[in-house]
Amino acid sequence: MSAEAEANKVAGALHELNVQTIVQIPKLGPFDFSITNAVLYMWISALLVFIFYLVIAKKLKKEPGGLQTIGESLLNFSTGHLTGQFGEKGKKYYYIILTIFTYIFTMNIVGLIPKPEVLKPYTPTANINVTFGMAIVVFLITQFQGFKRHGMGYVRSWLTPPGVPVALAIPLHLIFFVVHLMGEFFKPLSLAIRLFGNTIAGHLVILVMIGLVLQYQNFLIAVPPLLFVIIMTGFEIFVAFLQAYIFALLSVIYIESAIYAGH
Amino acid sequence: MDAETAAKLAAGLGIGIATLGPGIGIGYMTGRATEAIARQPEAMGDIRTTMIIGVALAEALCLYAFVIAILLAVA
Repeated sequence: MSAEAEANKVAGALHELNVQTIVQIPKLGPFDFSITNAVLYMWISALLVFIFYLVIAKKLKKEPGGLQTIGESLLNFSTGHLTGQFGEKGKKYYYIILTIFTYIFTMNIVGLIPKPEVLKPYTPTANINVTFGMAIVVFLITQFQGFKRHGMGYVRSWLTPPGVPVALAIPLHLIFFVVHLMGEFFKPLSLAIRLFGNTIAGHLVILVMIGLVLQYQNFLIAVPPLLFVIIMTGFEIFVAFLQAYIFALLSVIYIESAIYAGH
Repeated sequence: MDAETAAKLAAGLGIGIATLGPGIGIGYMTGRATEAIARQPEAMGDIRTTMIIGVALAEALCLYAFVIAILLAVA
């Protein structure tokens, strides 16, 4: 298989999707804390987001300049449109949603920028561990909010609504509970897989097209894939924004449904 | 047909079949959203947000199959 992959340049182009270890750290039990290129690009993205907001916050002016305008419109977008459904009770979570949005967008864009082989290019969001990590944070916030605000009433809201006859309610309670419990666990799963799948699918398409050019090295064959790659990269920038937006929006909806459970 | 060939065939066929359902669903959703916007342009923002949520949920179904296809083709 490996010899075949060496000869086949289409498969060779897909090496960008491989995780490469940069700093080897000995394993602690089953956990591997080695610094890979995924971790490196996650840190770079986090640093970019941090510096972006730091620079904006340090240089606040009465008449906003270029960067401040972007920051203000992002904040307006986050507190108004994105988290509008939270209402008063969820004010605390405005900023984590804004951070999730900016962070995912930055990770997607950082991954889209073409980089030489030396830099070990990688897209953090094309790794299911990264997306699952973020989805689990959203899951924990959701459950924490539900149990904090409603106590055991949160579990009650998963069951049949009050007013159903007792004889009917007991079997229905069971079904409703199982369905809701599965739903609660599928929410972070679908969040993670959606982001992972969209990112890796886009990158696969682009890399396969570039691989075709490398494979055949023929001018006639090279032109259509290159045009396609250009169009696809533009589309991927749109998808990078859209997926960040959807991740943030669905997080808001999940957390909001826990805050106002039973309504 | 040995196991590896069968797995690759299943990956290709599976992702192809899995795109059908979400494709139809997303088509319906976008079409209806366009109709709704044409009827009531002032509600465009709300309709678009709702449509994007629906499209994202439908799309996730296909992506489950995509993950399974990757597992089948690589493993």
